[in-house]
Amino acid sequence: MMTATIQTTERSAVEEAAIAVEVSGLTKAYSKGLKAVDSISFEVRKGEIFGLLGPNGAGKTTTIKMITTLTRPTSGSVRVFGVDALVSPQEVRQMLGFVPQAISVDGDLTGYENLLVFAKLFYVDRSERNKRIHEALQLFGLADRADDLVKHYSGGMMRRLEIAQALVNRPKLLFLDEPSIGLDPYSRMQVIDHIRQLNRDFGTTILITTHDMAEADELCDRLAIMNLGKIATTGAPRELKKTVGGDIVTVTVRGAWTGSVPPDIGSVVSTENGVLKVLTPDGEKAIPRITDYIEDAGGVVESVSLNRPTLDDVFMKYTKASLQQEGSFTEARSARRSISRHGK
Amino acid sequence: MNSFRRAVASAFTIAEIEARKVRHDSTELWMRTVQPALWLLIFGTVFNAIRGIAPGGYSYLQYIAPGVLAQSVLFVAIFYGITIVWERDVGLLTKLLSTPSPRISVVVGKTLAAGVRGIFQGIMIFALALIIGVNLRFDPLDVAGVFFVVVLFAMCFASLSMTLASFLRTRDRMMGIGQAITMPLFFASNAIYPVSLMPPILQDISTYNPLSYVVDAMRAMLLTGDYANLPLDILVLLATTVALIACASVLLKKLIE
Repeated sequence: MMTATIQTTERSAVEEAAIAVEVSGLTKAYSKGLKAVDSISFEVRKGEIFGLLGPNGAGKTTTIKMITTLTRPTSGSVRVFGVDALVSPQEVRQMLGFVPQAISVDGDLTGYENLLVFAKLFYVDRSERNKRIHEALQLFGLADRADDLVKHYSGGMMRRLEIAQALVNRPKLLFLDEPSIGLDPYSRMQVIDHIRQLNRDFGTTILITTHDMAEADELCDRLAIMNLGKIATTGAPRELKKTVGGDIVTVTVRGAWTGSVPPDIGSVVSTENGVLKVLTPDGEKAIPRITDYIEDAGGVVESVSLNRPTLDDVFMKYTKASLQQEGSFTEARSARRSISRHGK
Repeated sequence: MNSFRRAVASAFTIAEIEARKVRHDSTELWMRTVQPALWLLIFGTVFNAIRGIAPGGYSYLQYIAPGVLAQSVLFVAIFYGITIVWERDVGLLTKLLSTPSPRISVVVGKTLAAGVRGIFQGIMIFALALIIGVNLRFDPLDVAGVFFVVVLFAMCFASLSMTLASFLRTRDRMMGIGQAITMPLFFASNAIYPVSLMPPILQDISTYNPLSYVVDAMRAMLLTGDYANLPLDILVLLATTVALIACASVLLKKLIE
């Protein structure tokens, strides 16, 4: 009896140690009863890259603002590495890095100075400071521009500088709100590489919001899709994609053939004008078996294509009702504007 | 105690940010000296020649030099609210508030920066006064005292401006309010003429005008050497500053919500 109790408490302590952010019943209501965030609960595990997805106005940014203690929740609780964000906001902020959606480096300071002053505001030890700043500038390819004013940097460089701040301040948890919006594909790739690097080499837990489903798929260990202030679903990208169905193999066939495949490969969705569609859990493995089967049966395979569900399909499934194309346009435009404003 | 030390360190870092910006581009700082120079060189010189106002046996130029200094510091400080709204617009404020540094450090740091700009104004106006031969008491202790008052005064109005920014929220409105406040404060004070020359209503207003206390303190140190009112002047200024810094720190969050 005694030992059983001890075991339970031990287990919960271990579980707690593995959790970076614990959000429960979190709500933000504005006047007129409008709820930007409506009683959401989720966990971010230590060391993972967690994606918070959802259409504009779903409540992602508000959620992040509440976790980073910038806005007080109406109700609910947030614990960051076991520390209550409502009780000790400063202690929580000491563990966090935040890269907001709009570029927020200071254009009137040099790259080096940006890193220096934020290191000071994070109380990074004086003896460590300069070493880390030079390391970060080197690693993020900004060393030769370190003494230039940031307003002369490109948008991609500004973003990299913001993420470099995380490398200097070494937060346990880094928030990135739309980190790649408004960037060209090459800059975007660099930014994503750096995010991964932080996660891998420094064990930084990362919480990211994005509209880019390909990016989320490639980067995130787990993700949550928010819609209308609530969490619509959570899980690993692979699991989520399974929920919208398996792979579809499309085969164009000529010649004599009955129009069926063995049930252990998959189920036939349609056969029209010699085009066969098969639904199967694993398309890549099914393709050779399907073609072999058809050719054995005397048919000739002309072409094969594979269609796998993407995170886009998952996103659409859970957010269809409120998706507004216009919104993402304005958001991208405002981010681009913020980059050009800094550039002036 | 440790958290107090951190708060002070952060305030100095915020002020350091401003200082570094000025080092990269000091154009604004020099432009800011044009207006007080005009007040002294043109307005002051003309009225000095008329000899219409010669309070306490001092020349008019002697009389308005402290007033012009106070006014120029007021102008520097009152626009700090615009800076903070601009920083909110470009996302810098969010970034500052997401650091572990306390809110009050952000406010105090900004007001300190206003103080440093005020000191620069002071140096320029002193230099100008020397060049055109205005006879002031350049006793080192008095000058140090004047700089102390300048810093406190700049902090006072910079925090007032930031408090207003939390309510007004846009740069345009801040521009408007800046214009609307500064001139009446200036004219309803003892900066360019003695209070005794004003109509009674304006005299009453001037008693509640912090600028009057500032000018009074500066004049005591630079001109008369009569320190009788100095403790009251500094006390009023100090109390106002502390109250406004507290207001601005509490309200700062409103800007990013």
